[in-house]
Amino acid sequence: MRDRRRVVGSAVLAVGLMLTTACGGDDSGSSGSSGGGGLAGKKFVLMQGVKGDPFYISMECGAKEKAKELGVDLQVQGPDKFDATLQNPLLDAVAASKPAALLVAPNDVKASAAPLKRIQERGTKVVLVDTTVDDPSIGVSRIATDNNLGGQKAAEALNTLLGGAKGKVLVVSVDPGISSTDARVAGFNEAVKTKYTNFTLASDTQYSHNSPQTAASVIQAELRRNPDLVGVFATNLFTAQGVATGIRAAGKSNQVKVVGFDAGPDQIKQLQAGDVQALVAQKPYDIGVQGVEQAANAVEGKPVTAKIDTESLIVTKDNLNDPEVSKYIYKDSC
Amino acid sequence: MSTETEPATVAAEEVTPHREPVLRTVVRNPTVVTFAVLVVIILGFTVAEPSLFFQGDNFLQIAQNVAILTVVSVGTTFVIITAGVDLSIPAGIVLGEVFSVKALAMVGGLDADADATNAGYILAALAGGVLAGLVIGGINGLVVAYLRVPPLLATLGTLGAGLGMALVLQKGVNTATYALDPVGHGHLVPGVPNLIWIGLIAVVAGFVLLHMAVFGRHTYAIGSNPESARRAGINVERHLLKVYLIGGLTSGIAGFLSVSYFSTTSIGGHSTDNLQAITAVALGGTSLFGGIGSIIGTLIGVWIPAILNNGLVITGVQPYWQQVAVGFVLIAAVWFDQLRRRSRDRF
Repeated sequence: MRDRRRVVGSAVLAVGLMLTTACGGDDSGSSGSSGGGGLAGKKFVLMQGVKGDPFYISMECGAKEKAKELGVDLQVQGPDKFDATLQNPLLDAVAASKPAALLVAPNDVKASAAPLKRIQERGTKVVLVDTTVDDPSIGVSRIATDNNLGGQKAAEALNTLLGGAKGKVLVVSVDPGISSTDARVAGFNEAVKTKYTNFTLASDTQYSHNSPQTAASVIQAELRRNPDLVGVFATNLFTAQGVATGIRAAGKSNQVKVVGFDAGPDQIKQLQAGDVQALVAQKPYDIGVQGVEQAANAVEGKPVTAKIDTESLIVTKDNLNDPEVSKYIYKDSC
Repeated sequence: MSTETEPATVAAEEVTPHREPVLRTVVRNPTVVTFAVLVVIILGFTVAEPSLFFQGDNFLQIAQNVAILTVVSVGTTFVIITAGVDLSIPAGIVLGEVFSVKALAMVGGLDADADATNAGYILAALAGGVLAGLVIGGINGLVVAYLRVPPLLATLGTLGAGLGMALVLQKGVNTATYALDPVGHGHLVPGVPNLIWIGLIAVVAGFVLLHMAVFGRHTYAIGSNPESARRAGINVERHLLKVYLIGGLTSGIAGFLSVSYFSTTSIGGHSTDNLQAITAVALGGTSLFGGIGSIIGTLIGVWIPAILNNGLVITGVQPYWQQVAVGFVLIAAVWFDQLRRRSRDRF
């Protein structure tokens, strides 16, 4: 009796494993590289940092638009999670299909370097979009948001929301050691110390560990210590979510303004509901367009810009419907 | 396997050495030391920042923030008392969130804001969360009890599968809703947020089920020694299934509560909620080897990290130290508890 159960159990497991491997095999789907002159029909691949994220979907939209214009065949891939151990096998599969160019948002500054180097050595032109790797020899061009500038924008947004009033402000970030959010925090702190001296930092940067619960309890405790807090810069989605919830539960929604980062559908909903009063939006669409542009230049042997810092912009309830702003709201699909 | 109920009841009472009045059981509870630790921590912060820390509304806020973890930890207590473990809690919570918003969408309440919502929407979302929890819990229970896969691995499997399923159902994107605001931010009793009452209901229900019902005695019996529990006539497999169903149910409800409180699903979040719940249960004196544990202990265990985090922020300790402190208090509290037990065993 018990033995039969075991057999059934292991059979189920075995079938499951087979299915998993079979699915994994699909990822290497290669469409033979067609020859042809110029760029037309050349194969480009965009490797996103993670699948299904509106930031990367918007980047995909920009890249696809530009690829269509140039007549390039663009394929899009991405790991299920932002994790180099998941992305690297996909990169190796891409390498096997020898695309003319690869736009990639590497998942790790060190771990992603080896497969990218292999791809580059096979003659594929590599453009790093959004995230980077430490090894400076990888990538003909690196295109990313200037996160430090983004942090300064957040300070500017808070200043505008508060009409230049004096007061205590606080930064709640994700975890120390993440280059993008660390740069946002540094930019914000710099701006508070030099430009917006009407603000004082209420305490050291607090961390949410990307958990809304932690962010909520941290902000509530901070509000006890600093009941006169006027503004918070929350450096990512879950942090902003938790900060807004905590402020609301403490009954201080009218007093404390929250500035979030990124402008995906979730953040826009937060903005419309009034949980968050301003967002600093990156321009992933532009990153996608410029990524394909630079990759095309590299493939054609034209001059390539080695480093491009894209700007960010401030989104509020008031300018949300302005077409110049709304085109930068991240998309669920193209 | 015998399923006669008569001998089962009699046998279970033989397993518990001697029955005592409930009150004395509580007083002799292995959580007294942990409670003392909590009191010492509270006293420490009170001395440091009396006007900010030791205030009624601060404790109300902490209670509101730990309510969701409290619900999960009650379920986890049952699982751990059977010498099991449930790592799939984040999957239960996230799927609970997803099923809640899917159910809301089905009844057309997803875009209703706080003023336009109604009890029907809320009940639909709750039903979604409960269903998600029962599915995860049911799979855990079947795999652990009947396929005899070790709980650590079985629930590790459902953790990955459940989180993946949530991503599939949501296509990787979160859904925001304000329709559940009355649950997450409402006050049926002025001044006391509803989440606190919900946490309290979970604690009372868990207490009754574990300490005052036959169900609890069977749970302890299986945790102490599954073989003797079986010989005593308890249907161990069926009971384990029920225990994992409770674990899943509390996770699913926590998912519903999480959407209510944070106004959105967080399919990439909750990744450490299983460890937080296990920490709380362990702090509360429940043995990870099974057979020993209490709901009140778990409640205290939930509060210790929460108070530490709150107090360290209020006293302005550098943020990095918060994690260090919680880690050491966990080790210290469990060690004290071990010492106390060892010294008791000598007599």
